[in-house]
Amino acid sequence: MRKIFSFSTLLLALLTCEITYTQGYQVNFQGQKQQGMGLAGTAIFLDGSSLFFNPGSVAFSNENSINIAVTPISGNTLYVDAETEQVYRSNSPIGTPFSAYGLFQLKDHAKLKLGIAAYTPFGSTVSYEDNWIGRFALTKLQLKAIFIQPTFSYRIADVIGIGGGFIISTGNVVLEKDIPVQFSDGEFASASLSGSALGFGFNLGIHYDLTKKLSAGLTYRSKIEMSVEDGDASFDVPESLDPNFPDNTFSGALPLPQVLTLGLAYKASEHLTFVLDVNRVGWIAYDTLAFDYAVNTSSLEDTKSPRMYESTFAFRTGASYDFEKGLSLRLGGGFGFSPVQNGYITPETPDNDRWYGTAGIGYVFGDHFSMDATFYYTQMSRTGNNIETGLNGQFDTKAVAGGIGIIYKW
Amino acid sequence: MNINAISILGIVMIVISACVPKYEGPYESSIGDTNPERFLMIGGTFSSGYTDDALFRFGQENSIGAFIHQSMNSVVSSPFHQPLINEGSVGLSTNGLSRLILGYKTDCLNETSLSPVRETALGDASILNNIYNDSHFNNMSIPNLRSGEFFNTDYSNQNPFFSRMASSQSSSVMDDLNSLDATFFSVFLGLDDFMPYIKSGAKNDSLPDIIAFESNYRLILENLTSNGAKGVISTIPDITSAPYFTTVGWDDLVLDSANNATLNNIYNPLEFYFVEGNNPFMIEDPSANAFGVRPIEEEELILLSVPLDSVKCYKMGTIFPFRNEFILTQNELQNIRAHLNSINDIIRSLAIEFELGLVESETFFDKIQSEFPYNGINLSTTFVSGGAYGLDGIRFNPRTNALFANEFIKSINQKYAASFPMINATNLDAAFFP
Repeated sequence: MRKIFSFSTLLLALLTCEITYTQGYQVNFQGQKQQGMGLAGTAIFLDGSSLFFNPGSVAFSNENSINIAVTPISGNTLYVDAETEQVYRSNSPIGTPFSAYGLFQLKDHAKLKLGIAAYTPFGSTVSYEDNWIGRFALTKLQLKAIFIQPTFSYRIADVIGIGGGFIISTGNVVLEKDIPVQFSDGEFASASLSGSALGFGFNLGIHYDLTKKLSAGLTYRSKIEMSVEDGDASFDVPESLDPNFPDNTFSGALPLPQVLTLGLAYKASEHLTFVLDVNRVGWIAYDTLAFDYAVNTSSLEDTKSPRMYESTFAFRTGASYDFEKGLSLRLGGGFGFSPVQNGYITPETPDNDRWYGTAGIGYVFGDHFSMDATFYYTQMSRTGNNIETGLNGQFDTKAVAGGIGIIYKW
Repeated sequence: MNINAISILGIVMIVISACVPKYEGPYESSIGDTNPERFLMIGGTFSSGYTDDALFRFGQENSIGAFIHQSMNSVVSSPFHQPLINEGSVGLSTNGLSRLILGYKTDCLNETSLSPVRETALGDASILNNIYNDSHFNNMSIPNLRSGEFFNTDYSNQNPFFSRMASSQSSSVMDDLNSLDATFFSVFLGLDDFMPYIKSGAKNDSLPDIIAFESNYRLILENLTSNGAKGVISTIPDITSAPYFTTVGWDDLVLDSANNATLNNIYNPLEFYFVEGNNPFMIEDPSANAFGVRPIEEEELILLSVPLDSVKCYKMGTIFPFRNEFILTQNELQNIRAHLNSINDIIRSLAIEFELGLVESETFFDKIQSEFPYNGINLSTTFVSGGAYGLDGIRFNPRTNALFANEFIKSINQKYAASFPMINATNLDAAFFP
């Protein structure tokens, strides 16, 4: 139990840091075992989290299980304005990506597995200190998306499993920024856009045991267009400008990109397993962030902000060593390319290519319970500008995450 | 298990320390080859802090020189005395009026809208009382000051904005400049040499004499540099891009069918034709034809001094064409711009001759004209809502004064291998809305 205590200490420590950290706005914390191994694990059945990582490998499971995990992530961005050299910091709250999986097998159909998954693959809250130099570009962006994925998986041959899940995505977005017009006391006006979004997609996977030791997995998660209709646009502006900024509704859409993953897993021995995943993320879908207001005025026109994301690769690898007495230690890391091009750097995703490292530990308590915990760290620096807003400077970001998950199986 | 717990606690410690990115600074500022001990700003209306069509304290505190000094002062501390007006004063315009503020105005059509209005009926004439009191001023920018008036010992009797700060009734501007013994100076001079002519629609005054301008400017620089002081000077911008000259569009005359018919009846004999919708306003032009009227052309400008009620309700700009004082014609603009080019060439060569930093002010004014984003603020020449100019449509607001000051700072940094920091203009003031 002391170990659990230690990990809760770790989680408390994380609460002292700030900001959610993401790649683009993608969050890759969907399974503690995979997180321990550099966020890879598409080609191996590990636990219920494979419902996310590869519905095809779920066919190789031999259990009923319930799996719940949370990975508080905390980061901090420092911005140095290129012209004035003034320094500003983010003050984002801690993010709490979670996942929950239920995995079930049917007595009469040994080859068929059913599962239900809920996870948060995209989302972040980024906010910056008051009066920061980019206040008219962004003061806060909160993006939350929960994916619910009922899934089936079928073992079509001894060495091949296929699976698929339908995804219902619900979420909400809040965007706040200041407007460069002033009240009579000098205070600046502000805008707040918020709305709930709904989207649909699917997650397909195939798992193939190439040899007794080597297996491969291929998955495709479709793009999901998160559409906001009748979002709430409210403006805190001087009274004389109320007609220019009428409280209003807006519509918009944020694409959650498709992800194609090829994974390999190699069981070097009874104890030692290596995994490798290569992601191709279709960020090219995010070329514009558009807001369409129901009521337009000369001061409030529909906006189309270029984002011009590029599709990217990410490489993730790791290993797990399973000791005799139910203890596992994991280690991994990876490299992800940034979808954000020069000229389009925004305070909401001050993103760059980055290395990251992960570590994990797992322990099995008897026949039913097991626990896993993980650690994640990355840092990056991005220098450049945004053509639309004129913001020009350097973003330095560090992020850490500590995850903990519990599994009950029968 | 114990070892495990200790190692995890170790990780926790690392996590806490690793979580916050360290600032690699502080910014390495340097005065380079400058001596900012006694900084002096020299200029006319634009850099005096005059904005919203008045000289008042808020404008002075946010003047171009104040921002240049703020940057220098952050590296080496130095004084910057300005002839400040009392807090709370409504200020005084060159016509004796108070400053403009945003308020509501009801026009002849009984439509009430947001508009610049005078804060009070009369300006605060008490600001003209002399406040010299043995203190040399670091901002020697004086409303209406022209290059030819620096050595005029009678100037305090001619310009009340100088007499309020002059060391004596008989001292010239140059006398008072010299007594500061500046170690570094910044000059934004010459716009006032053009302004009376431009602002009167080329009716009053005349364009400055080029030869006199050159000899006056040279004399001023000889005085300023005689003690070895260094500095930066600026070319003169083409002010006709300011909202004062661009807010009323050449074809903002919108005609319904009745008015269209009326105007066609009147002007068709002169072969001027109107249509329903947008049309060019009519202007006076003695050279146009026997009647001395013609439609204004696209490149020509209508000044914001036009009585808008007369335009809206009393046929000004149509049956009663705009008088010369309200417009700048193509010919006038060409003259102004050619003259400006000649004088700016002189300023450029003087910068070389005296080895001074040079600000190409037109580059900055052009940037505003082409609308540029500054940290999420889209600055433009649109009147009031463009966020760059004050309520008079000619002078900058504090935000843009700071950005313009940054152009001076860049020039200083470049010329003198210095690194004074730029001013953050993001949180500075523009217009206050009721």
